Amino acid sequence: MLEVINLKSRVGDTEILRGLSLSVNAGEVHAIMGPNGSGKSTLAQVIAGNDDYVVTGGEVIYKGNNLLDLKPEERAREGIFLGFQYPVEIPGVNNAYLLKAAVNAKRKHQGLGEVDAFEFLKLAREKMAVLGMDPKFLNRGVNEGFSGGEKKRNEILQMAMLEPSLAILDETDSGLDIDALKAVAEGVNKLRHPDRAIVLVTHYQRMLDYVEPDFVHVLSEGKIVRSGDKTLALELEEKGYEWVREAANG
Amino acid sequence: MKQAVLSIDGLRQAVQSLPDDALTAAREAALASIGTQGLPTVRHEDWKYTDLSSAIDISNRWLADGANTESAATPADTVKSIMASIDANWLVIANGIVDLTHFVESSGIKIERFSDSAAPLVMERPLADLNVALLRDGLRIQIHAETEKPLGVLIVDETSAAATVSQANVEIEVAAGCNAEIVEYQSSSGGGDHYGNSVVVLKIGQAANASYVRIQDRRIGHVHTGRISVTLGADSQLHMAGYDLGGGLVRNDVDIDLSEPGAAATVNGLYLAGDGQHIDNHTRVDHRVGPASSSQEYRGILNGRCRCVWNGKAIVHKGADGTDARQTNHNLLLSDKAEIDTKPQLEIYADDVKCSHGTTVGQLDEAALFYLRTRGLDRRQATQILTHAFAADLVSRTPVTATRDAITALVESRLAELITDNVS
Ligand SMILES: Nc1ncnc2c1ncn2[C@@H]1O[C@H](COP(=O)(O)OP(=O)(O)OP(=O)(O)O)[C@@H](O)[C@H]1O
Ligand SMILES: [Mg+2]
Repeated sequence: MLEVINLKSRVGDTEILRGLSLSVNAGEVHAIMGPNGSGKSTLAQVIAGNDDYVVTGGEVIYKGNNLLDLKPEERAREGIFLGFQYPVEIPGVNNAYLLKAAVNAKRKHQGLGEVDAFEFLKLAREKMAVLGMDPKFLNRGVNEGFSGGEKKRNEILQMAMLEPSLAILDETDSGLDIDALKAVAEGVNKLRHPDRAIVLVTHYQRMLDYVEPDFVHVLSEGKIVRSGDKTLALELEEKGYEWVREAANG
Repeated sequence: MKQAVLSIDGLRQAVQSLPDDALTAAREAALASIGTQGLPTVRHEDWKYTDLSSAIDISNRWLADGANTESAATPADTVKSIMASIDANWLVIANGIVDLTHFVESSGIKIERFSDSAAPLVMERPLADLNVALLRDGLRIQIHAETEKPLGVLIVDETSAAATVSQANVEIEVAAGCNAEIVEYQSSSGGGDHYGNSVVVLKIGQAANASYVRIQDRRIGHVHTGRISVTLGADSQLHMAGYDLGGGLVRNDVDIDLSEPGAAATVNGLYLAGDGQHIDNHTRVDHRVGPASSSQEYRGILNGRCRCVWNGKAIVHKGADGTDARQTNHNLLLSDKAEIDTKPQLEIYADDVKCSHGTTVGQLDEAALFYLRTRGLDRRQATQILTHAFAADLVSRTPVTATRDAITALVESRLAELITDNVS
């Protein structure tokens, strides 16, 4: 599904990704961990198409095509979804309106007609119930005045409506209370499917208790320095990142 | 470019060719006033950014061509579609000619023609004087009881000749204690050059409440100047909003006079400008006594080679203690060829006043644009959504509810024209 090969990227003059490689197959769940500032969000933003991050080397292949040639909206329509670490507030743009426009943009790309307004609302309400979101959030501005946890749930709502092939969730578990974490994990588990892949960027084992990863990677200074199965996350929890760094350097 | 000068001889001939009626003396007085003052030039502080040459040039060509005021027929289709879009009781001024045929007699409203009764005020303001000098007829309206529908004033021009000029002049009095809703709609069509000049005088009685919506949707390229002068009685309220969508050279002057205590005026505006447009909004609020409040909020969206001007002046005169005056102007510039001159101006000669102003000029929020694009919306669609959100607040707060759907549709379609695929 996704093949990241020796990816290098900078923002301004600062090199952030320094030869990162990662391979994600359909049906898999990958967790990416790593210290603050190591480049996790940068990787997520580059995959989503944020041109603040300049790709200076390497390749990203998605479903067999060069992903870096596509505009952000084309990537989204091809099934890539990024759950932002810091979802953007867009005052005055109705949440339901965006949700519907996003669903329709994808449907149009697939050669389908616009979603039926009634069906759309019904589906949105169902998904919101799973996420423990009050339906009134549909009528608010996109993330406008949402609490941290509400923003994260809203990201998952969008993901649930768009049913992406590849979901990259950048610290969607940060700032969630226990109930919200369970609800978000349930939302993510519902998306698990042999045709889909999920990449979870996280700092906490707790999320991985609910959404069991097939692979865990440690990103440090712009590179993946260690990969393993779910036990790697437990080991990290115990020994901290210093341990991986030492192992990587030594 | 050298500034054009209005042909006073041509003007005199045109004034003298108008019928002899109750307006005659006012026309002569207005003509004399222009003869001595002339029209404003860019050397006048208030006209620094707005050169009236194109208005003067069209006027001179029209005057030279015989100043025909009765050329084109009423643009029936335009009138019909506008009336269908807003449910109001409509008075029509088509090509400068008063047409009362669409108006349904209402017990709350009394209407007189200037030509039958007394003439309008000569204000000694150049464009208002030009208006009165060339005025075929105008209306004096008294609203003395609340009516079921808003009162609509449709100023519509259809041009066929190379250059035409038209005047509209309406005086509206809202009786003490009365609630009134008024819609002024300006529209023009046709291939020729056109200059439309309007004057509205609004007198709001004691404890009355007037809501006034102005929609200017003239043909892109047509010249429009308009003045609205409002006086507020004690404890009265004005809720005004203007929407400028069309026109080429556009200048709006809104003057608010707060001479009695307890009055509150809200004056809002939205302007959308694209290639070749120049939209200038000048407001002036005179706080002569306190307590009284005024609030102005203008927003603009500019794309392409265009220029907009916002000058919001509030003068708090000596003794007007207890004044609360606020003004804001926010602009979204979508092109580096778009220009905005924004100037809030507070002159305070009283002691106990609360005044504030704020202006912003900015581009679209790139983070918001990117976020929308990661949800599958292309740049154009994302831009339209964000610009629409920027305008939506002023649209939804239109003080005359009956206009909301029409304004929403007008703003949406104008934004769709303005936001093209090549937005930067
Ligand atoms: N727009 C930017 N301008 C300047 N520096 C940036 C920018 N974006 C990221 N960086 C820098 O790049 C480095 C990696 O940032 P990134 O956000 O990818 O880290 P992260 O691994 O997601 O960290 P965290 O765990 O704190 O979310 C950091 O040092 C950060 O300061
Ligand atoms: Mg991050």
